[in-house]
Amino acid sequence: MKNTDKTRKPGRKKPAPRKQLAAVQSRRKGFWRILLRLALLGLFLLAGWMVYLDAQVTSRFEGRRFEVPSRVYARPLELYSGAPVSAAALEQELALAGFHKGDGSRSGSYQRSGGRFLISSRGFDFPDGKEPRRHLALSIAGDQVQNLQVVKGPDSAIVRLEPAQIGGIYPAHQEDRILVQLDKLPELLPAALMAVEDRRFYDHHGIAPLSIARAMLANVRAGGIVQGGSTLTQQLVKNFFLTREQTLLRKGNEALMSILLELHYSKSDILETYLNEVYLGQAGTRSIHGFGLASQFYFAEALEDLLPHQLALLVGMVKGPSYYNPRRHPQRATARRNLVLDQMQQAGLLGEADAQRARSLPLGVSDKASFSQNRYPAYIDLVRRHLARDYKEEDLRSEGLRVFTTLNPAMQVAAEKAVTETLARLGDKALESALVVTAKDSGEVLALVGGRDPRYAGFNRALDASRQIGSLVKPFVYLAALSQPQRYTLITPLQDTRFTLKFENGTVWQPKNYDGLERGEVPLHQALSKSYNLPVVRVGLDIGLAEVKSTLQAFGTDSAISDYPSMLLGAVAMTPVNVAQIYQGLATSGFNTPLRTIREVTEAGGEPLSRYSLQVNQVADPAAVHLLQYAMQETMQEGTGRSAYNTVPRALALAGKTGTTDDGRDAWFAGFSGDLLAVVWVGRDDNGATPLTGASGALPVWSKFMAQVPQNSFTPVLPDGVQYHWVNVQQQALTDEQCENARLMPFIIGSEPKQTITCAGALPQKIRGWFEGLFQ
Amino acid sequence: MMRVQMRAQVFRSAVVCAVLLLAGCASGPGDGIYVPAGERPQAPKPPLTDGAAKPADEPQVWRKSEQPPEQKAQQQTGVPGYRESGDQMPAAAAGLVKEADTLMAQGNGAAAITRLERAQRIAPRSAAVYFKLSEAYVMTGQLGSAEQFTLKGLSLAGRDERLQRSGWLLLADIRRARGNVAGARQAESRAARL
Repeated sequence: MKNTDKTRKPGRKKPAPRKQLAAVQSRRKGFWRILLRLALLGLFLLAGWMVYLDAQVTSRFEGRRFEVPSRVYARPLELYSGAPVSAAALEQELALAGFHKGDGSRSGSYQRSGGRFLISSRGFDFPDGKEPRRHLALSIAGDQVQNLQVVKGPDSAIVRLEPAQIGGIYPAHQEDRILVQLDKLPELLPAALMAVEDRRFYDHHGIAPLSIARAMLANVRAGGIVQGGSTLTQQLVKNFFLTREQTLLRKGNEALMSILLELHYSKSDILETYLNEVYLGQAGTRSIHGFGLASQFYFAEALEDLLPHQLALLVGMVKGPSYYNPRRHPQRATARRNLVLDQMQQAGLLGEADAQRARSLPLGVSDKASFSQNRYPAYIDLVRRHLARDYKEEDLRSEGLRVFTTLNPAMQVAAEKAVTETLARLGDKALESALVVTAKDSGEVLALVGGRDPRYAGFNRALDASRQIGSLVKPFVYLAALSQPQRYTLITPLQDTRFTLKFENGTVWQPKNYDGLERGEVPLHQALSKSYNLPVVRVGLDIGLAEVKSTLQAFGTDSAISDYPSMLLGAVAMTPVNVAQIYQGLATSGFNTPLRTIREVTEAGGEPLSRYSLQVNQVADPAAVHLLQYAMQETMQEGTGRSAYNTVPRALALAGKTGTTDDGRDAWFAGFSGDLLAVVWVGRDDNGATPLTGASGALPVWSKFMAQVPQNSFTPVLPDGVQYHWVNVQQQALTDEQCENARLMPFIIGSEPKQTITCAGALPQKIRGWFEGLFQ
Repeated sequence: MMRVQMRAQVFRSAVVCAVLLLAGCASGPGDGIYVPAGERPQAPKPPLTDGAAKPADEPQVWRKSEQPPEQKAQQQTGVPGYRESGDQMPAAAAGLVKEADTLMAQGNGAAAITRLERAQRIAPRSAAVYFKLSEAYVMTGQLGSAEQFTLKGLSLAGRDERLQRSGWLLLADIRRARGNVAGARQAESRAARL
């Protein structure tokens, strides 16, 4: 007010009358009153604002359940003497599971020289128990593990490596993290973090005015922002509640909220939340939050296994995860890390010698991100559909579940290679494909390809392309027939001659063979192995469409099956996965084995949630299936599948069936070895014609896959009630093993031919019978 | 009470299986494994981030131990094959079965099943593994599954009469426990014929 007086112009100087003076005084009083009122109002508003902020802080922090994505793991590799794995595949598995080349004695490293491996496993909490850390020595010869030895750690004849993470199910905001608990961390981490970011963390009440002043001074001196005065609490508040904009209002809110946070929560609560919240990098659309995941992401190691120089790097990166990205800017990152190591030394966290040694070490970052998102989109798609039966999408996205799948990475690699390379060779860019690989006796889906580009996460043909199966249906027609041994055996002669069916509505159906020829009489086994159409329709009509339909349904199809005889030639639409399901029963002597992609699901802490057990269900007589398997082996050796042996060596015995639909719209192959079942479809998405058949389109993909994978031959065990006999197929008679036209074939006991003939075709049995009659 | 007696019978059969199992452990796995020739599967290279040194690819060397076995004799047209019996159990699978036995002795059938499923993945054509699974399912009261695993085991028992007999007897006990007396008799007479 004084100032106001002084500013009055001297020219207007007049003695102030009393009245005037009183008016000025009253104005002054009014002003103070207004100011007071304003201040009260301000205080009132501030109090209201504080109440609002307090509610914000407590509600967010109280319910601070981080949304943690679910993790999807491949099946763990089991190592034991005799385990089928090639040296190259073992190395791939190790790389996928985040092992790095090294001395093989540091946890998470391996050493390879030729076929010899030294592996130092990290241990893993499996749902059925903990697999401890071990040092292993083994060699690989003939694609089998030999001489597995546990050099260090609890001895065992069989060990599981930690599984590779093959995917995640992420929250909408794409934040990824692995939650850590303060009391389980290396003590050096929080200590180093405080030494660098907030030395007085345990002393202040959320804000540190002295630090702010010091930072401001430093910034003024440097002519720019070189130092921040934010406490860890303020940084957490900023990340947790506020936007990134730099306004005074936001700064004010940050300070107020920090104080409120400290009022309500303990220092260790705040610190633990900070360690899990802090942003430390980016992998595509996925953001890396918290030290737990950052440790995996940059070092492929668990946080508790990190060495001081690695911890220092992570602490240093808090300041700018992108600017100090050790993979992109190793020099900057090294300088920053060494600065952190200096500060750790100053704070007495590291001795001089240790600090010196840590500074001299390389960054120690893993070559690549330990897992890349969505490498197997088709497989993960199937896993998610299976999960959707029992879990809510929101839980999968936020509860940090662990999903243990059956994916076999080496098989997946082989499957993708078989599809991409064969399709490239077939030329037509419009051709698409799908491949399903399962473990024959367990129904586990080991690999899945949903299109010619296995990385494309779009239309998944393995699950969604419902296409006519053509001749893939024939084994089921013949199985239904062979289940009636009094009527059908493998050598029953069938008519391969044209005929016409007239329906009640006047339509006419005249099926034809693929080559348009007719062969007169052919034995049943040959009708299947050469995939003739005319005999199968005759057999199907003889035993009845209902019988064929119920056989297909028993083997696990849920497709609609028409009641027209054209279904006997495969006018039934199925997806490749569905075909794999129904062929599973053919491959395992009549045991329907539901396909599985998931073994177990657990909570983040390891508590089991669901287990998906092996199930088997006998749906056909093993004896009849054995006969059918004979004809399906013949398909590979003499029939429509024989070109597989252009790619696969004869030593690997296989069984299978080709399938082709009209104008080559669909080319199929379904077949199995001793260990694996694989189904391939090749065709166009627009259902257009192709020049391909099952043998020329799908079989090359199938054989290329089979040829890459170590596995056992298909040599079925003789089931109860089946006997092999040397027979002359044409004469339908038993004959001598030495005869040129003798063939060793299985029969359900009692259905074998009753008469025996000589090599020349004479009937010795009848002659003897006549003589016997003469002398009786 | 009836049911308890049935269970006891099932366990007696299971003991027979266990004895057979141990006998089977002495020999190694069945057929030799097929070793792929020519190309080796290559892992898809995970995307390399900038600044990371690309490791030099190892030269492709065929080591003698990795060569595929001689296949001359089998190059002619093959004939469909079969065999008289299933696989013996490799030591690793036998170890897991032993763990499962211990767990079952402690009354933990569910944990035993997880061990046996691991054993089944290693030895999927060993009848004994399926009989053990059957035993574990009897313990957890899932007799339907137990019956199915016994049938699966029998489909792999081949000409091995001891395995056959113990399988049929196990099946008879399970069927009787499920109230299928006719089925049980059928299985028993099948065992008696061996």
